[in-house]
Amino acid sequence: MPVSPELNARGVSVPDVDAGTESAAFIAGVDDPILITGANGFIGLRLVENLLRRGFRNLRCFVRRPSQRLVLESLLASGEFGPAQLEVVVGNLLSGEDCVAATRNVAVVFHLAAGRGEKSFPDAFMNSVVTTRNLLEACLLHKCLRRFVNVSSFTVYANGRRTNSVLDESCPVEERPELRGEAYCFGKVKQDELLAEYGGKFGIPYVIVRPGYVYGPGKTAITGRVGIDTFGLFLHLGGSNPIPFTYVDNCAEAIALAGLKKGIDGEIFNVVDDELPSSRKFLRLYKKNVKNFQSFYVPHAMSFGLCYLWEKYSAWSVDQLPPVFNRKRWHANWQKTRYSNQKLKARTGWAPQVPMADGLGRYFEGCRTAEHD
Amino acid sequence: MIKSGIIKAAIVGCGKIADSHASQIGRIQGCEIVGVCDREPLMARQLYERFPVKNYFGDLSELLRQAQPDVVHITTPPASHFDIAATCLQAGCHVYVEKPFTVNEDEARRLIALANERNLKITVGHDDQFGHATRRMRALVQSGYLGEGPVHLESYYCYEMGGDSYAEAVLGDKRHWVRRLPGQLLQNVISHGIARIAEFLTTESPQVIALGFISPFLRAKGETEIIDELRVIISEEDRTTAYFTFSSQMHPSLHHLRIYGRRNGLMLDHDQETLIKLRGTRFKSYAEKFAPPMIFARQYMGNLTTNLRSFLGRDFHMKSGMKYLIESFYRSIAEGTPVPIPYREIILTAHIMDAIFAQLSRKTSRTASVPQPLSVSQ
Repeated sequence: MPVSPELNARGVSVPDVDAGTESAAFIAGVDDPILITGANGFIGLRLVENLLRRGFRNLRCFVRRPSQRLVLESLLASGEFGPAQLEVVVGNLLSGEDCVAATRNVAVVFHLAAGRGEKSFPDAFMNSVVTTRNLLEACLLHKCLRRFVNVSSFTVYANGRRTNSVLDESCPVEERPELRGEAYCFGKVKQDELLAEYGGKFGIPYVIVRPGYVYGPGKTAITGRVGIDTFGLFLHLGGSNPIPFTYVDNCAEAIALAGLKKGIDGEIFNVVDDELPSSRKFLRLYKKNVKNFQSFYVPHAMSFGLCYLWEKYSAWSVDQLPPVFNRKRWHANWQKTRYSNQKLKARTGWAPQVPMADGLGRYFEGCRTAEHD
Repeated sequence: MIKSGIIKAAIVGCGKIADSHASQIGRIQGCEIVGVCDREPLMARQLYERFPVKNYFGDLSELLRQAQPDVVHITTPPASHFDIAATCLQAGCHVYVEKPFTVNEDEARRLIALANERNLKITVGHDDQFGHATRRMRALVQSGYLGEGPVHLESYYCYEMGGDSYAEAVLGDKRHWVRRLPGQLLQNVISHGIARIAEFLTTESPQVIALGFISPFLRAKGETEIIDELRVIISEEDRTTAYFTFSSQMHPSLHHLRIYGRRNGLMLDHDQETLIKLRGTRFKSYAEKFAPPMIFARQYMGNLTTNLRSFLGRDFHMKSGMKYLIESFYRSIAEGTPVPIPYREIILTAHIMDAIFAQLSRKTSRTASVPQPLSVSQ
């Protein structure tokens, strides 16, 4: 069983990294410019720390608002990382000019910024696909890119196979993501398609990283794979399903390796930790460690039936109720599935540095703090 | 008139609201979407992929030339409405422009004049005025329920900032197109609430007194430009008066119209789709304490029944007002009947909005240039 690394003052895991040994296996040197979009986000911030810890000294962090500078600049001010240049660029990825400026001379792009879109497909598409296209076009202009890392999601998988089968990188992606009723899924599928198109057409070297549910201190929501509280009562839908968690520092480590390791261009990597808890176990721990609340377990056959009925009613009523619950969504989120991280481990040498028990402990503590605030 | 019998529609601008247009057009018999267009071709393609649309374009002239639509729905940012609408009218298309119609009254007048000159029709997307309850309210007013006409109106049109991705985008981006509109956020949001008042005004140039300020909530976020609190008094001398309230902070976040006549009043809640009659007479003595609550309870039950009946009849979509407006507009095109929103009302809405923004602009520049010991507007 792995031993959890120490935490620094900001609650971030501090793994033991030997920068010298690693660098020979990387496509970029410590002084090569690296761009991180969404650098101030939940994963982005951890990725920036990870790269700094590996000795990378020339990071360009792209953020949307000027106020988001502070948290990044305070990283360097902590003095933890030695001499490094951390340039914070404020801009909008919908602006071609901003993208051209941000990608100038960069060797690696870690593209984490994404539009969740909430319920709006155009918003999700615009902030995932149009932004990615702008970045790719800008990279083509500069002709110095060694790798483009796109952070995608498990949401893209159709997962329409038999119950309890293994979901890995070979599984099919949603062919008609618009029918899932999830704007985020639509945006992410189209984003991955665009990247593959640019890779094929223009030879852009890329890697796609698909994390499961990224959790850790700073996030308080319970993933929809466990259940939903749409109707004022928490409906527990996961049951005995393993939940594909990945702790935020483990995920950042995977993204960093996917961007740096030699010989993995064009590959896709799923990111999911070991020792995954079942939905039922997670919910029990959450109630014990954060707060108790009423939940109602909906067996899989019933949840599938309800999704089916909702889908049919939505079609019959011409979207009087939007088709947000449907069979595709059920298969993707609530069908019992096992998850594999073998490819990521084998090809990049990744291993989850924060064990599940420690990760959950830190997550619950963060949730408790947020509850009190 | 439509030659083929089928109305060929097109949508220009493929952002969030375009989805609603595509959905509602899809619910109307006898029409089809022959093309969608956005200067960002990826956006046009994503709309094309999700709806039954014949083709997509990245260029307006290509759309007009190849798809040859009868009607063009313009769902682009407001600053572009005038140019796109004028191009479509010149190409012989009828035009449905999302709200706000244009960025000022002058552009509104010129577009309507152009439509008239070309013998084409034009309308604005004030679809909130065509929801179920609003239509019932209009029928009651027309039947004389108020007694003569309205004496006073109160229009509430509120907007919740928290957690809204649109608001976040506007607040987080100093170059956002909303910030470049003369009335900024207000211009993009309040026209629904102003149009509800304009519908019942009879003069062309009512007096407008506006007070606007930046809420403490936005100030705390460092916002210095976006006015998100607005109170307006509108007055037609010796006739009808109106109050308009826009707020990003008050709760509940109302979308109400209250309309009072000499005899009775009406209270419309757009969110709940309820219409309540306000009796102009009083019961005697203690009966006034007990009878009206019972009457209100019965009315709310009636609204519940009506809403349930519409829902069960598959006619209670969130954008049912938009479907009704589009359908009415298409019918006016096909059958040569009057447009659903009179041009006078479109121009008056633009006129009132211009007056509001002019006053807010004057106050802002005065506040910026002259030190004020105490300013109620700031």
